[in-house]
Amino acid sequence: MSIASDLIRGHTETIILAQLLEKDSYGYEINKAMQQKTAHRFELKEATLYTAFRRLEESGCIRSYWGDETTGARRRYYSITPLGRESYRLRKKEWKDAKTLIDKLIMEEDTLL
Amino acid sequence: MKEALRQYLDTLFVDAPETVRMLELKEEIFQNLTDKYDDLIAEGKSEQAAYDIAVVSIGDVRALIDAQAGGAANTKEREKARQRSALFVSIAVGLYILSIIPVVLMANPASVGIMFAMAAVATGLLIYNGATRPRYVKSDDTVVEEFKAWKEEKSGKKSGRGAFTGALWLAIVSIYLLLSFFTNAWYITWIIFPIGGAVSLVISGIFDLKQ
Repeated sequence: MSIASDLIRGHTETIILAQLLEKDSYGYEINKAMQQKTAHRFELKEATLYTAFRRLEESGCIRSYWGDETTGARRRYYSITPLGRESYRLRKKEWKDAKTLIDKLIMEEDTLL
Repeated sequence: MKEALRQYLDTLFVDAPETVRMLELKEEIFQNLTDKYDDLIAEGKSEQAAYDIAVVSIGDVRALIDAQAGGAANTKEREKARQRSALFVSIAVGLYILSIIPVVLMANPASVGIMFAMAAVATGLLIYNGATRPRYVKSDDTVVEEFKAWKEEKSGKKSGRGAFTGALWLAIVSIYLLLSFFTNAWYITWIIFPIGGAVSLVISGIFDLKQ
């Protein structure tokens, strides 16, 4: 599990961008969606999540705004920018390439066993 | 229990500078923690269990706060630059004062040359100091920070012009002394001062026009 979560953590920004493709969202909602998609096997630490948000915002991939909830505290929402969509496409391609390569490397090792 | 969450978050942010961005970050984390807490309660967890899970899920915010502050390292660097700047100015002022001594002691053309050289070095130091002074880096996007940056820039321009005027007048005095010692025409060499004054005004007029 620890290797898997290290791997996943390396792609935090891509995962956030993927979540924002459909609709604007906020920190907890994104984290919850991740938990549900992985059947509670993975969730991000708040600190990791917000570090990724700040980095994405600084690079212009996402924008943030405060929601206008009438009840309770206000939430900070994030929305993906055109630049963010482009970045998402590139990151997805990179991941696919890496996956293919790693698959090949690992499969070759397997045949030796 | 939510109050306990708030208090726990306060302890994490106790060393953080109180900027708008930092408060927003804290508010955002608190809001998401409360959401999580509410969800856990709805799932049937006890208040204590929900609090524990929420607290553990925060993780290490140290790096996040540091990145958000950005200013912590910034202020240290500025302090260093300020000390260096003070050293340069002290040396320059010292040179200006000492530059008179050769003239007083020897009272010949060579001593004027030494004075000119010392003054040139001092002026060079001042100009270098003015040119390499670090710009004020905004630590966040509030109006206060913008005002500070603007003020810094304005005083930077002023000190640049001050150094130039100082250099000009030193040159004028040096030329006056050199000419006078060499030609011994003391009765007329003073004319360089009104001329110098006019030149200085013309140059600062050009400065203003350019801006």
